[in-house]
Amino acid sequence: MSQVAAPVLPARYQVVERQEETHDTVTLCLRPVDQPIPAYQPGQFTMLYAPGIGEVPISISGTGPDLGLAQTVRAVGAVTRALCACTPGRVIGVRGPYGTGWDVAAAAGDDLLIVAGGIGLAPLRGALLAALGHRERYRRVVALVGARSPEELVFARELDRWRDDGAEVAVTVDQAVAGWTGHVGVVTQLLGRAEIESARTTALICGPEVMMRLTARELRVLGVPTTRIRVSLERNMRCGVAECGHCQLGPLLLCRDGPVVSYEAAMPLLAIREL
Amino acid sequence: MSGVTPADLADHAFLLGMADGHLAVLARDCWVVPVPKGHRLFAEGDTARRFWLIRSGRVALDVHAPGDRQLIVETLGQGDLLGLSWLVPPYQWQFSATAVADAMTFEFNADAVRAACESDAGLGYQLLQRVMSAASSRLQATRIRMLDLYAASSTVRGEP
Repeated sequence: MSQVAAPVLPARYQVVERQEETHDTVTLCLRPVDQPIPAYQPGQFTMLYAPGIGEVPISISGTGPDLGLAQTVRAVGAVTRALCACTPGRVIGVRGPYGTGWDVAAAAGDDLLIVAGGIGLAPLRGALLAALGHRERYRRVVALVGARSPEELVFARELDRWRDDGAEVAVTVDQAVAGWTGHVGVVTQLLGRAEIESARTTALICGPEVMMRLTARELRVLGVPTTRIRVSLERNMRCGVAECGHCQLGPLLLCRDGPVVSYEAAMPLLAIREL
Repeated sequence: MSGVTPADLADHAFLLGMADGHLAVLARDCWVVPVPKGHRLFAEGDTARRFWLIRSGRVALDVHAPGDRQLIVETLGQGDLLGLSWLVPPYQWQFSATAVADAMTFEFNADAVRAACESDAGLGYQLLQRVMSAASSRLQATRIRMLDLYAASSTVRGEP
């Protein structure tokens, strides 16, 4: 039975590399043991299964070896703690990929603006790498990254490489001590300095929901149309195939209709407290 | 003569749209001052006799914390106003400021600018509008940071 026909069955993947990003976040490079899951689009997620413990939705942060995956996991509960503790050689379950992607190609010919907060950089990393892989297709590729502190910045080791590959990368943190020469403040403060050409900018935003709302609001003030702003929304994804309803947000089932959603569609939903 | 012209000031984001006459008054009490990386512009508790408009580079505001640590509370850069305490009694810096990258600034004589605002309410209003806008933006940014949005949470994901 193929994975496409039975997407709710997990495929076995082996951890081949474990990269510590921060004190509570790791990136796992996974290689398929048998048949790989279908090809993914940046922005999509998988359900990762820690054997005997449970399953969680995790965004795909990049490609691993041999049709494999890179998935960045933050330890916030029993399942993610177990996943973060996986060392090379361990086998876990992967099903998916599920949901919508960033559709980076739609920004071709224009400016691509990526705004990430905290671990929100993980689902955007794939989009950024896809754009840098075809750098000539875009005018500017700008990445604005916010983190709690310099120590909690994920993919810190890659920032210079992204700059070398043609991205303009700016980082800001909420808290820092003397010696940090980067920016201190919220990520929205970087927008004003990015000199955005609003009519030709496609913005991809991922981070805590409040941060995404404030960033989108600032982008609208700068003149970026809501149709050119995309956000990645997260709810309680369980089945991944729009059957269980746990991830419902108004008319959307985010495991199918999201996680990446146009801000035009998301804006009215995020304004409803009960949702 | 400071050598700074009203046209020089007009290009700065903080002063965009200000009338030429008001810019001319400000230009009289203003100098172009380069600030090398590592230079301390002012220290917490000192009298606030100057303020700056940053043309390039970065300046960090910091505060001394127990354990001999300096905590950076905010970083300012191109287009920003550096210094609010010069406008509010007791005219004493509440934080310290250090250039974290080579910076180029317009430096103003705060006493002279305050006096000019006293004698020209129109200038005072224009300047206060801009200071208020900067202070308001920083207040909002500070409130967002107080939310600690990036703290770990499993509530949305519903993970046990």
